[in-house]
Amino acid sequence: MTLRPAATAPRPYRFPDVVRHQLPNGLGVWLVPLGDRELVSVHLLTDAGAATEDEAQAGVAALTAQLLVTGTRRLDAAAFAETTERLGIDVGSESSWDSARAGFSALGQHLEAGLDLLAEMLTEPRLDEGEFDRLKAERLNDILQARAEPGRLADERFLGEVYAEGVPYARLSAGPPETVEPLTIGDVRAFHASRYAPNVADVIIAGAFEPDAALAAVERRLGAWSGSGPGHRTIRTAQRGGRRVVLVDRPGSVQSELRVGHLGIDRQDPRYFPAMVMTALLGGVFGSRLNKRLREELGYTYGARCSLDPRRAVGPFIASAAVQTEVTVDAVRELLGQLERIRDAPPGAEELAEVRDYLVGVFPLRFETTAGIAAAIEPLAVYDLPDEWWHAYRSRLEAVTPDEVHAVARELVRPDEALILVVGDASSIGDDLDGAGFGPREVVGEA
Amino acid sequence: MAEVPIERHTLDNGLRIVLSRDPRAPLVAVNLWYDVGSKHERIGKTGFAHLFEHMMFQGSANVEKGQHFGLVHAAGGTLNASTWLDRTNYFETLPGHELELALWLESDRMASLLPAMTQEKLDNQRDVVKNERRAGVDNQPYGDWDERMQALVYPEGHPYHHSTIGSMEDLSAASLDDVREFFATYYAPNNAVLTVAGDFETDAALAMIERHFGPIPANPALPPGPDMTVEPRIGEAVRVTVPDQVPLPRIYLAHRVDPFGTDAFDAYDVAADILGSGRASRLYASLVREQRIAQDVSVFVFPIVGGAAMFSLWVTARPGVDLGRLESSMLAELDRLATAGPTDADLERVRNLHASRSAAALERISERADRLSMYACLFDEPERINTEVSRYAAVDASRVAEAVRAAITPDNRVTLVYVPAEAAA
Repeated sequence: MTLRPAATAPRPYRFPDVVRHQLPNGLGVWLVPLGDRELVSVHLLTDAGAATEDEAQAGVAALTAQLLVTGTRRLDAAAFAETTERLGIDVGSESSWDSARAGFSALGQHLEAGLDLLAEMLTEPRLDEGEFDRLKAERLNDILQARAEPGRLADERFLGEVYAEGVPYARLSAGPPETVEPLTIGDVRAFHASRYAPNVADVIIAGAFEPDAALAAVERRLGAWSGSGPGHRTIRTAQRGGRRVVLVDRPGSVQSELRVGHLGIDRQDPRYFPAMVMTALLGGVFGSRLNKRLREELGYTYGARCSLDPRRAVGPFIASAAVQTEVTVDAVRELLGQLERIRDAPPGAEELAEVRDYLVGVFPLRFETTAGIAAAIEPLAVYDLPDEWWHAYRSRLEAVTPDEVHAVARELVRPDEALILVVGDASSIGDDLDGAGFGPREVVGEA
Repeated sequence: MAEVPIERHTLDNGLRIVLSRDPRAPLVAVNLWYDVGSKHERIGKTGFAHLFEHMMFQGSANVEKGQHFGLVHAAGGTLNASTWLDRTNYFETLPGHELELALWLESDRMASLLPAMTQEKLDNQRDVVKNERRAGVDNQPYGDWDERMQALVYPEGHPYHHSTIGSMEDLSAASLDDVREFFATYYAPNNAVLTVAGDFETDAALAMIERHFGPIPANPALPPGPDMTVEPRIGEAVRVTVPDQVPLPRIYLAHRVDPFGTDAFDAYDVAADILGSGRASRLYASLVREQRIAQDVSVFVFPIVGGAAMFSLWVTARPGVDLGRLESSMLAELDRLATAGPTDADLERVRNLHASRSAAALERISERADRLSMYACLFDEPERINTEVSRYAAVDASRVAEAVRAAITPDNRVTLVYVPAEAAA
C-alpha cells in the first residue's frame, strides 16, 4: 500500500477584519475592505422578514422584498432594470423568516452608482400596483409549481405537519396561497412604511473599496433615511403530536420523498457547535452515516442527509432522502435506525475527527468570494452574535468532543417523537407503511 | 480585468498540465478533465460514462471505498465530479498544504482503478445512478425535457442523440467488463488535462505531479473521437406535445447552431443574454412584465463542441394563457432581433453583466481550474480563459443579427410543448 502523502506546513488563514459603524439614524454599517479584489458586494439587511408580519397577512414580507426591485419613484420597473443592468449590476431582493435582504455584487468602480440605486430602491420604492399584481400572481403560480415537485412538496408538507397549529413556522416564510391571495398593494405599502427603517437595518460592504469613501457614500445615501421599525416579534414553537406517519399521495411517483424529524434548536442555543458537528456527522457530509448507509451500502437513494435550521425561534431537524418506491419502508427503517444509533453511543474519535476537521478546514473556502464574506457578516447582524464570532469559530468547533456529540444527540435527536412524512404513490406503499409499525398513519393527503 | 496566470507543461506520457498560481488565499484547486463523455458511448451503453465516473469513487489500488471523500474532507477540502456530453471532470479544492493528497488520490485511480472493482460495488452504484435518474428526470415535472430535446435535435446515431444519464435498460446491462474496457481505453494520461490553481510553489508542484502521474503509461491506442458530423441545420420544423404531471404548460424551443469555441457561438451567447438574461432582457420584459402571459423565461446555449451546439429557450405559461399566443409572442421577439438586431443599449447591458458575472465566477479557484481544464481539453488553448470577456465584447450588432437570421429559424427548430396531463386527456 502506498501511504497517503504527508501535508506540508499549513499557511494560516484569518477571517478578514470587520470595521463597524453606526449612523445617527441607527443604521449599522459593516465594512470589510479587501484590497486584492476586483468586486464589491453590498448586502442591505432589514428586520422586515416574515417574523415581522401578521399571520393574517402571511406572505406580505416576501412580496414587499420582491417588489422593491420593480422600480423607484424616479425609475419605473423597465427603467430600473435597464439602469442597474447597464452597470453590470444584478440587484436581488428577498426575505426569509429572520430578515429581508437586498444587495448586489459589482466591479469595484460601480460601488457608488450601485449604492445610489440600492438606497433609492429601499427608501423610495415605487410600489406600483400593476407590478404588485404581477408578482402576486407569479407567487401563486410558483406555489403550484412547487407542489408539483416531490421534494418541494415534501418540504412544505413536513413543516405543516410538524409544527402545532398556529405556529407561524408551520408554513413557508413566503406565505401560503390562502393569505397571499387577499393581499393588496395597500398592505405592501403599509408594511414597507412601518417595517423598513434604519434602526432595524444594516448595510454590509465587502471587497474592493476604500473604507472612508465607502462610509461617506453610505452616509450621503442613507444618513437621511428616517423612521423607526418595530423589528421582529417573538415566535413560540411547539410540535404537533408525537411519532406518526403522514403519507401524501402522489400517484405514479417512482420515488418516495422521505422527511423524518421533529423540532430542533434556535440560533442562540448554547449547544450550537456540538449540534452542528453532530448533524454533519449524521447527515451533513458525503461520508456521513445516513449517506454511507442508504446510498453507499444499500443503493436506495442518490443521497441521504439531515439538517438543522436554527432560526430566531426553534427550527426543524429533518433527515431526508428520495428513495425508489419499492424500498420505502426499508429506507424509513434505516433512517430511524441511524437516528437511534447516534443516541446509543459517542462517535469514535476518528469518525468525529474527520467531520470536525472538515468543518474547520473548509473555513477559508467558504470565504473565497466577496459575496461569501458579505453573507458571513449577515448572521452577526441578524442574531447579534459577538464580533469575534468568526475569529473564534474554528476553535469552538475543534473543542467539540465525542461525549458532547453524544450528549447533544440524546437531547436533540428524538426518533420516538419523529414525524415520518412520505410523499409517494399511496397505492404502492400505503399498506406496507401501515404494516411496518412506524406509528399511526393519521392523514393521507392529496398532492 | 486581471489576467489569470497560465503555465503549461506536458509529461512524457502525454498528460497535459496547466498551472495557475494565485497565493491570495491558502487554498489550492486540483482539476482533471478526461476527454470522454456520453458522446463516446455506443448504442446499448447509454449512461455508462457517468456510471463509470461513480465507480471512480469506489476505491483504487491504495484507496478504500469511501476513502477518497473521507481523506479530502478530513483535510478540509471539498470534491466532486461530473459527466456531460463531451467530457468527465474530477476536482478537489483543499488547503494548499494538502496539494499532494489530491494529486495522489487522482493519480492512484488513474493508474490503478481496476484492482478495486467488484461486482458488488458496480451493483451498488448502478442502483445509486438509477435513483439519480429517478430524482432528476423521471420523478420531476419537465424532468426529461433535455433528453427529449437532444433526441429530436440530433439524428439517431449521432453521439448527442442520447442523454448523459442514459436509459434504465442500458444501466441494467452495464457489466464489469464494460468498466475494464472503458478504463483501459479512456482513462489514460494522454487523454486528460490536469490543472492546479491557487496557492502552491511551482517547482514543488511539478515535482509532485511528475512523481505521481509520470509513471502512469499512456494508451498508445487511444481511439479517434466519435464522428460528430451533422447537418448544420435541422431542415424541418419538428413539434412534439408531451402530456405530463405539470401544473403549467411550458414551451421549449431548440435549434442547431455553431459549436462552442467558434466566433458564431459567441454571437449566439450574446443573443441568448439579450433575450433572456436579467429583468431588462427582451423576453422577460415583453412576456413576463408587459404582457404578463409568462411565469418565467430562460435562454441558453449548450457549450458543446461536436458538430452543432443547441440554442434553447423555454417559457412557462401563466394559467389560462393561450399557448398559441404565448408561442407567437416568443417568436415575435426572435424575429425582432433577427430583423432589427440589438441596440447599443442591449449590447452595453449584456456586456457589463457578462463582465461582472465572469469576474464573480473566477473569484473561485475551483472555477478557474475547471475553465482552464476545459479550454485545454477542448481546444488545447487554456489561454482562452483570458479572452472570455473580450471575445464576448467583440460581438457587435451585425454579428448578433446575422447569427439569429442564420439559425433561429422555423426550419431549424424543435418545439416541445409540455401540457398538464389531465388537460390533454
